[in-house]
Amino acid sequence: MNMIEVSGLSKSFGANRVLDGVSFVVPKGTVVGFLGANGAGKTTTMDILCGCIGADQGDVKIAGYDITDQDLEAKRRLGYLPDVPPLYGELTVQESIKFSAEINGLQSSKIKSRLNQVLERLSLGEVRGKLVGNLSKGFRQRVALAQALVHDPEVLILDEPTEGLDPHQILQMRELIKSLRGDHTVLLSSHILSEIQNVADSIIIINRGKVVTHGTYEDLTSKFEGKRAYKVRVGNSYENAMAALRNLPEISELKLSDDRSISFNLSSANEVGLDRVAKTVVDGGFGLRELSQTSKSLEDVFYQLTR
Amino acid sequence: MNSIITIAKRDFKSGFATPKSGAVLFFFLLFMGLFFSSFVKTFIEFQARAGMMGGGGAPTMEQLIKAMFYNLHFILILIVPAVTMGTFAEEQKSQTLRLLQTAPIKAYEIVLGKFVAAAGLMGFVLFLSIGYPLFLKAHGTPDMGVVMSSYLGLFLLICAQISLGIWISSLTKNQFLAFIFTMFGLFMMLVLDFISKAVTTSGGQIESILQYFGTTKHLDVFFKGLITVGDSMFFVLFTAMFLFFTTVTLDSRRWK
Repeated sequence: MNMIEVSGLSKSFGANRVLDGVSFVVPKGTVVGFLGANGAGKTTTMDILCGCIGADQGDVKIAGYDITDQDLEAKRRLGYLPDVPPLYGELTVQESIKFSAEINGLQSSKIKSRLNQVLERLSLGEVRGKLVGNLSKGFRQRVALAQALVHDPEVLILDEPTEGLDPHQILQMRELIKSLRGDHTVLLSSHILSEIQNVADSIIIINRGKVVTHGTYEDLTSKFEGKRAYKVRVGNSYENAMAALRNLPEISELKLSDDRSISFNLSSANEVGLDRVAKTVVDGGFGLRELSQTSKSLEDVFYQLTR
Repeated sequence: MNSIITIAKRDFKSGFATPKSGAVLFFFLLFMGLFFSSFVKTFIEFQARAGMMGGGGAPTMEQLIKAMFYNLHFILILIVPAVTMGTFAEEQKSQTLRLLQTAPIKAYEIVLGKFVAAAGLMGFVLFLSIGYPLFLKAHGTPDMGVVMSSYLGLFLLICAQISLGIWISSLTKNQFLAFIFTMFGLFMMLVLDFISKAVTTSGGQIESILQYFGTTKHLDVFFKGLITVGDSMFFVLFTAMFLFFTTVTLDSRRWK
């Protein structure tokens, strides 16, 4: 079952078309990464998914409920952590989470136990009585996540949840998001590639308001391995080796990497070319030290799709 | 209904937790105290002067009370915008409005929650001013019926002023702009009655319409000790209209 269904979403702000026919689905119990550069349309999409703003065209269904026509039903099943944590600085941590529980319609008999559960799960017990306005960025982010989680929503939408956190806090947040898998369906946006690569079951890449691809990490990297990437390290004379390799017809995107190795793409239809690369290096007396295939990273795929 | 109470409770609590409310209370009581002592002093002087001249033309307690409440009307033009300016403008700026917009509650519940909190805060401020008529009661014989109806009229006026302030606050992220435009709006409500006389000398329909939309004429009725359905409904409908406008403003962001 798909917990988030988005079809043909378009949105313009004045003359600026921010979203242009965005469509995707998020299956139940999965963590899906929503990847895009700053300004690609991630936050606008998420604001529409959560019912904060309306789309010009297209439909959004949360757990089968239309966010426009059945907004209350959809929102009951939704938890949202926006890019800027929606926190009232003058409330304590406990009051903030309780407030969120109450406006999200959690029964009063369940509020206390759920409050304690999220405080424990997010390690907020020690600051439960402190004013939110006095907390560090990491704690504030966790309080905002606790607000999104307290009513135990089926769908969680997290907009750049690790933004502004230190490396230790990023690891904690990452583990937390991983632990949500199964019980919750999570759509996680980020412009940090490693973030998505580490926690998401599948990835949606958005660029200039359009979904450019959607699939698992393996799907995406293999899809873009039509031209396979390799590197060769030579013992001496990089420039001459590069000049010699440049003459081979099956080689493209030849360049000198930071680690002094020569990277290049080779057409998969012409694997015999690999032998010719080795032969060229050896015959040229450049000293073959290494010839290996480099797996394409999500970063490569991302840059290829969004440039 | 629960959501309205929850939002109102949070806003009310936050209202008291910020220095803004302290400043509102301080300036309200300061201005009220200064004007009240000045009125009482003038009242005593005029009474003494009238006494020396045989007692004719002495000011009455009712006139003193009326002056005090008119003055209160003027002070509210400064106080109410300070209370309402942040209701939505601050929530939009700090993005906390998203917490409310993504919860399973209707826009009118958010608006009513904020209205109840602001009305509660201003009701508390108004309650603090009750010390002045009580002072008069301790030293004279004011008509407490007039005092009560005047308070009712002022509370209805405050509700109308708050609704306008909340609507203006929902249109911007800038609290200062919300403050200035609300103050201007409230000032216009106050002076529409006077403007109407300047606009036309005929006393015709335009003057009547302008007078009707001004608050002074309706408030005067309460200050005379009368509670009429027509004047009460004016404030109730005015309040309802601007709360509706605010709800539409919030909802319109979700429209396709």
